[in-house]
Amino acid sequence: MPAAPFSAFERILLQSRSPVDSAVLLLLAWVLAHRQHVSEGQRRRRLAQVSADFRHGHTLSPVMQIAREANLDAIQLAAEIVRAKCSAKRCLGILHQAIAVATDDGELSLANHYILRFLADLLSVAPMTFTALFLQLTGQALKAPDDPSQERYWRRLDPAKYYAKYYAHKAEEEARAQRERAESDAAKAREKRQQEQAKAQEREEQRRREEQQRRDEEQARRRSSHQSRDHRRQEQSRPAPDRTTRALAVLGLTPGVSKQEVRQAYRRLAQSNHPDRFYAASEHQVALASARFQRIKSAYDYLMQTL
Amino acid sequence: MRDLYRRLALSPNADDAALREALARCPNSALRRDAEATLSIPAHRERFDVLHATVSDVGQLRARLGLVHGAHWQGDVANDFSPPPDSVRSRHDALFARLDEAVTLYNRWQRLRGPWLLIAIAVLAAGVGLVLGLALGLRLPAP
Repeated sequence: MPAAPFSAFERILLQSRSPVDSAVLLLLAWVLAHRQHVSEGQRRRRLAQVSADFRHGHTLSPVMQIAREANLDAIQLAAEIVRAKCSAKRCLGILHQAIAVATDDGELSLANHYILRFLADLLSVAPMTFTALFLQLTGQALKAPDDPSQERYWRRLDPAKYYAKYYAHKAEEEARAQRERAESDAAKAREKRQQEQAKAQEREEQRRREEQQRRDEEQARRRSSHQSRDHRRQEQSRPAPDRTTRALAVLGLTPGVSKQEVRQAYRRLAQSNHPDRFYAASEHQVALASARFQRIKSAYDYLMQTL
Repeated sequence: MRDLYRRLALSPNADDAALREALARCPNSALRRDAEATLSIPAHRERFDVLHATVSDVGQLRARLGLVHGAHWQGDVANDFSPPPDSVRSRHDALFARLDEAVTLYNRWQRLRGPWLLIAIAVLAAGVGLVLGLALGLRLPAP
């Protein structure tokens, strides 16, 4: 059993003379709260005006407060009540009111684009009916909402300011990048010098080691000639090609598997790492998955050729 | 509208350093340009965040009301702002369950008020008697 206390909106509903009207009132207040360039008093007057024939019988300010806080639980409850209790005719009436409340000055805010469409879906009003109603009420066709996640939106919004800000920002970024580049160049140069020293040392050591080896081999050859021949043959048959082992490791296999097993492992990994699986996650995830997929694919191709 | 935060694998309240890092590792140059114009300028980001919060709310409501496949919820918005269904039950049912519980409790109290009052008085009297007895026992000197 739920042990939570009754929320503010639930108490309003219990005290209301008509819960459906209270629920509609909250949805309209939610739409009003997302209208821009309107003062709080104007919102209150508009809500009072639109709810003149409602029979809720309580004050508007608590409902407006809930709508301003965008209390999702309350709005969900209101939506459920409206969906359960309203006839198709009443639904159309509610959408009518919502559009009127959202577009008094003819301009629909971006948030209300999504809220009105949500209400249309909630009240099961078809897109054709919705656009027709919108056209009839506002005298303008319902356009697709602008997209502020695109650069184009900001450029069109305020071109001069946008470019000024954008270039200032770019210049700052470039300066930072240059500084970083200079630092990394310095670090790289230092590293290169160290590497060269290390390489020289290594070369010296290798020369010494090779000499030692040559001397050992000569001794061994002198000791028994056919033993050393055996040894060399063994070395040739060892499964040394490094790339094969690496390709097998990519597929999660050990040396000595059949083509069939390689194919099975490839199918399984390709399915679980396919970029299309990560389409909903994020572009970064998709990029990572496609890199993994490429690696698996090239390992498989290589193994199919060589095995 | 796309959810840039989700596409960059960022949290909506990520700081500038995290944002810069995400932009640097983003392989899609068009997305990177859009995200730079939208998120790395504070005024733009503020406005984007407000709208982002509202659209996320709408997506959450749609998920809870079973409207994620609505005719008005298509394309990028539906793709980016539809959260997976959570286990929140119908608010209407929850309200009525709670009302039902409250009514049951009230009725039970009305029915059992007499016996409960008697028990309470008896417990109170016993407690008072115990306290008085203890006080008296402490007051009297031991023989």
